[in-house]
Amino acid sequence: MFKKTGLYAFLIIGALVSVAPYLMTLNSAVKQPDKLLTTPAWEPATSPTFANFSQVWGEYDMSSFLWHTFVVAAVVTVLQVVFSCLAAFAFARIAFPGRELLFWAYVATMMVPQIVTIVPLFLLMRQFDLVDTYPGLILPYVFGFGAPYAIFLVRQYFKTIPVDLESAARIDGASTMTVFTRIMIPLSRPILATLATMTFVNTWNNILWPLIITNSDRTRVIALGIATLKSQYASQYNLVLAAAALALLPLVAIFLAFQRNIIRSIALTGIK
Amino acid sequence: MSVRTRPPSTSGGYPTRQGARARKSARRHAWRAAVEGYLLIAPSLAGFVIFLLAPLLGVALVSLFDWNLMGDPEFVGLRNYTEMAGDSEFWRSLRNTVYYVVLNIPAQTVLALLLALALNRRMRGRNLFRVIYVLPWMAMPVALGIVWTWVFDPEYGAINKMLGVFGIDGPDWLTDSGWAMPVVASVNIWQYTGYTMLFLLAGLQSIPVSLYEAANVDGSGPVRTFFQITLPLLRPSLFFVLVTNTIGSFQMFDTVYVMTQGGPGGATDTLTFHIYQQGFQLFRSGYAAAMAMALFALILLVTAAQFLYFRKRTIYDFS
Repeated sequence: MFKKTGLYAFLIIGALVSVAPYLMTLNSAVKQPDKLLTTPAWEPATSPTFANFSQVWGEYDMSSFLWHTFVVAAVVTVLQVVFSCLAAFAFARIAFPGRELLFWAYVATMMVPQIVTIVPLFLLMRQFDLVDTYPGLILPYVFGFGAPYAIFLVRQYFKTIPVDLESAARIDGASTMTVFTRIMIPLSRPILATLATMTFVNTWNNILWPLIITNSDRTRVIALGIATLKSQYASQYNLVLAAAALALLPLVAIFLAFQRNIIRSIALTGIK
Repeated sequence: MSVRTRPPSTSGGYPTRQGARARKSARRHAWRAAVEGYLLIAPSLAGFVIFLLAPLLGVALVSLFDWNLMGDPEFVGLRNYTEMAGDSEFWRSLRNTVYYVVLNIPAQTVLALLLALALNRRMRGRNLFRVIYVLPWMAMPVALGIVWTWVFDPEYGAINKMLGVFGIDGPDWLTDSGWAMPVVASVNIWQYTGYTMLFLLAGLQSIPVSLYEAANVDGSGPVRTFFQITLPLLRPSLFFVLVTNTIGSFQMFDTVYVMTQGGPGGATDTLTFHIYQQGFQLFRSGYAAAMAMALFALILLVTAAQFLYFRKRTIYDFS
């Protein structure tokens, strides 16, 4: 009995620590600006106000920042999932010459840090006049930064699907594309959900590449927007916290909507 | 990595007739596999070459030049590397990065393991706990940096207000060179502990219950069972978590960019941030490229060491 209480106490403390920053941010973002500094963060807002939100929303082009971020994250996610699946299928199931060598080249580049390729990528984008454009923002995410890991993840999962299923379909005259779309993809929904979630979250949150490739408001993403805001209004916590809440909450909302699938599928990636 | 000795299973078998026809069919088959294989990976491979391999070669090349991204690059051979070897700021950022990883990884892994062990049983609210623990994972580090700056604000922040309740006068966390890095690391620990826990929990659940029953029958206590059964069988999961988290930690940028800009006095100047500053704020691209090569080499070394350490003790199957 005592042991069980201790266990729950430990888990509940962990849970409180996990949600506290979110709750304090939200709580403080709706406080009156003067109350924000005079009352502790954990004290509930007595007369909640959306003034802070409407002020950042008005003074800063938050809606555009959010829209740009959404477009980039969504396009990257779709392209990443499609191209990873195609490549992973070839790596898992088709014995084309050079397969092993290519696969190990992919695996080896999983360790390349984002900062390493950024100077040449910037030069490349400048060469093709893609600085400060959507393609310039999107392409390196799809093919560069996370791509090898994505392919590795999906290939490992494809390999767990019994070959017999495929052989049976082949005997019935199924083509490679039919096997891919009718067998592999439907059976791989969990890993595709994981990949889509991870890609969306990573792209949404990333700041390093946008920092290099964006130089105006034209395609500025929210991470960059709030970092700039913070450097200008460092001491006006009511504004920067409201902006931070705007950047944090969309992902939380998406997560809560799909949490059952996401949790089950994230765990899958660890068991290979 | 398994190498297929049989012809690929893409057509569900071969005609059993022997001789020329079968050889011809096998050749046609191999040809078709090659075409299909390369068609399928074509988009990804083209992108891989353009956006990953070429830039990787490019960065090695740029590191041999003195260049500010505009004007004409001047070939300087290995001078950027020799400069790096004598640059105290480079070594400081390297030390800071290692310090950050050391603060981060053990704390995060041990906490995650404890949480996973606590959750690895039938209990009420288990799913709710899992959902709550993963929430930090998806938070934007830049936004977290803002939140943490405020939580650790010496005058208005929650931490010092709470310490004040107990009569403790909290330090100026982010402007104190001793505290700044631990505070920055705490963002990452908070963010990834729950996520790491999910992987370890999945690993724990793949351990057969019969092993625990057998250990129980043999009179093995909980501590012994943990070290003799749980930990050895959890190694593949631990390996995965350690390798990926370590690679990630070596690249930390966002939090420092928002919270400290490398300060105070360079105390949180990590390698990635230092490379960014040299390359894109001071426009010393060649020098930044040389340091990027060093970071890559460091990550390769550490990952290889982890592989070697775990290979002796675990079977991690890549095939």
